[in-house]
Amino acid sequence: MPQIDHAIELTDYRRQDFSVCLGCKICASVCTVNDITGNTNPQDMLQRIFLGKDISADEPLVRSCTGCYRCTGACPWEIRIPDVIRALRHELNVESPFEKAFKGSVSLFGRVYEPYVLMKAVPFLIRGGYMQHVTRWMEYMGFHLPHRVKRT
Amino acid sequence: MNVLIIGGGISGVSAAKVVLKEGHSAVILESTPELGGTMARIANCRIGFKTFYDEIKDDPRLRVVRGASIADVKKAGDGFSVTLTNGEASGFDRVIVAAGLSPYDPVEYKGKRVLTSLEYDAKIDQRNGELPEDFEKIGFFLCVGSRSKEYPLCSSVCCSYTIREVKWTLQRAKPEIAVFYNDLRLFGQEFYLEKIYRDAGVRFVRANSRYFEEDETGVTVRYFVDGELKEERFNYVVLAIGLRPNPGMKDLGALFGFSVNEYGFAAERSPLATDADGVFACGGALEPMNIKDSILTGFGAGVLAVRDAEALIAEGRDQGLLRDEDPPGITMPQGTFSSCAFYLGTDDPGEAMFYEYMSARFIEAARTLNEAGKTVYVVTKNIVMPSYDEVTFEKARREGVVIINLEENQSFVPQNGGFAVTGGGKDLAFDADHIIYFKDYAGSFAGREFLSVHRSEPQLRWNPTRWSRKKYHVGFLRHPRDKRWKPREILGAVGEIILDREEERLYPTIEEERCSGCGSCMDACPQKAIEIKVADTEVSVFGPISNTGIPKAHINEDSCVACGLCASTCPSDVIKLPEQEQKIPNCTAIDNRR
Repeated sequence: MPQIDHAIELTDYRRQDFSVCLGCKICASVCTVNDITGNTNPQDMLQRIFLGKDISADEPLVRSCTGCYRCTGACPWEIRIPDVIRALRHELNVESPFEKAFKGSVSLFGRVYEPYVLMKAVPFLIRGGYMQHVTRWMEYMGFHLPHRVKRT
Repeated sequence: MNVLIIGGGISGVSAAKVVLKEGHSAVILESTPELGGTMARIANCRIGFKTFYDEIKDDPRLRVVRGASIADVKKAGDGFSVTLTNGEASGFDRVIVAAGLSPYDPVEYKGKRVLTSLEYDAKIDQRNGELPEDFEKIGFFLCVGSRSKEYPLCSSVCCSYTIREVKWTLQRAKPEIAVFYNDLRLFGQEFYLEKIYRDAGVRFVRANSRYFEEDETGVTVRYFVDGELKEERFNYVVLAIGLRPNPGMKDLGALFGFSVNEYGFAAERSPLATDADGVFACGGALEPMNIKDSILTGFGAGVLAVRDAEALIAEGRDQGLLRDEDPPGITMPQGTFSSCAFYLGTDDPGEAMFYEYMSARFIEAARTLNEAGKTVYVVTKNIVMPSYDEVTFEKARREGVVIINLEENQSFVPQNGGFAVTGGGKDLAFDADHIIYFKDYAGSFAGREFLSVHRSEPQLRWNPTRWSRKKYHVGFLRHPRDKRWKPREILGAVGEIILDREEERLYPTIEEERCSGCGSCMDACPQKAIEIKVADTEVSVFGPISNTGIPKAHINEDSCVACGLCASTCPSDVIKLPEQEQKIPNCTAIDNRR
């Protein structure tokens, strides 16, 4: 099954939601993954899926998307790219370290036990060189404030 | 007849001009203390508006009500009985809605250094003093608050306005400028401006951004181009805000009984007329439009309100005043094939001004082919589909037409059995049985007398359809664009004919005896209304009389606008403008000087 059909099945997306993209690359300008890789363009990935090209598991977006929805917040057409990426991960059988930590915590303790999640995830953050970005990422949280609330 | 004009912006004043010219009385209702609307918020357009309005402001049949809005409307026979919020009440036979547009306010991005285009306009206005000291690097970002899920229309003026802001900036200072765009939707000759600024070092980047991190000294912007993320500092960031419908349109619709469409603009039953009898709409009440089109639709609505437009159009056609040509069609690929590509790109600004027409035709063709089950690619360097056309463009995208936007340094390469997109960190190859090029159709525009090609910006603005006093261009021959404009342009042209016809003009006179035929008046004439004709004259110099050709200036009254430049240029005072009667009766300043 082509990836696009898979993504459509797993999200509540229709084919047209992929193609309505304007190609403005606003998503790439705000994408958190770009703090690490510097060449991530969600719009390009969306277009490739739409054109029926396969996305590999090595793709930085598939590997490191945090599902922050900053792209959706800034996108003129509010395209929910993280939903698509989650569907891709499901199809490609990729799990991020966070997902592993959360799932492990649930299966061990029956709930999300934060110290366990941190214990599992922090080494990954340090090894991947993510710690230097943490302060900046905290600032991004302002982005999630409701529409028309001014950041200062 | 008594006509109520709601909105004192440029389209309302244009409508008032036609109404007054026809001898009816008009009331302009303006909700703010000042006339001018959005146009007067632009520093460089304020004077133009004032001059335009000054021509009618002393008319005794015109009344302007400022700072009031409509409280209540009752239908009274064919007309309306209107009560204003300031307590006034009067009866009107016709109503023209010219409520205008309201600029979008991007509160979530705005800051001290992230400005909207109107705030930036005030910053570079000469009357507001010196420019800030750190005026070295400025970034313009287009499509803020338009072309989105919330408001799917294109505002159609922000690109043109940005190009002008670049111009006004460069007139005062020499900062480094970058323009970040999705598509450059310019009108007509503005593509030449774009070319000029490109050559002068203004950077155009086909990428947009919403990452503005503002601090004390500047703004950090991130954008994605050439396959990688770039981070750049700007001193100021300008957001080209979109124009939304006036939020009061719904209330007006409820009061007068006309309907408002899903986007918040007046729904047109027939061109420029709403679905309530006796209520007409023009300018920004219809859709986002530029100043030239606002004036044009204002003239049209004025005609509809006070005259029988059908009869006037028929009369205009009989006299051969209205001029139009049929647009060329698109040749659809024939036979069996599975895929087709359209390449919408040109580097010649002379061809680029037909983007607006060709984009709409290409998208129309692409949708037809897509519906027939073909794979359709549209590769664009620039796709110009302003205001309602953007909705068509959105439909095409939703239906699955693949749109591939080329970045500045990407190129379209035709290949065996298809095409490739190369450069800028991207290499894509596609199969296509047919490729249809923009340049194949460029030839069908050559040699035609388009008004938007042959007339300068101010001429097009103040005389939106006039080619000469005997020809008024409408439809395809005015400016190639969407079909919905043609009937509006016909009405506008009729309005312009009314304004032109009765106007008494004083043409310059030439004393042919003394004219030496030097040609300086011909060079000075901005309308090219003077030609040098060789007249046969008998001369006798030291002997028998012989015939000689002597050049004489000749004025073509059809294109003369009586500006008087020829009279002031003439070295021997041969051309004179007849004295105009003094309009201001007791001007003390002139008396004192004498």
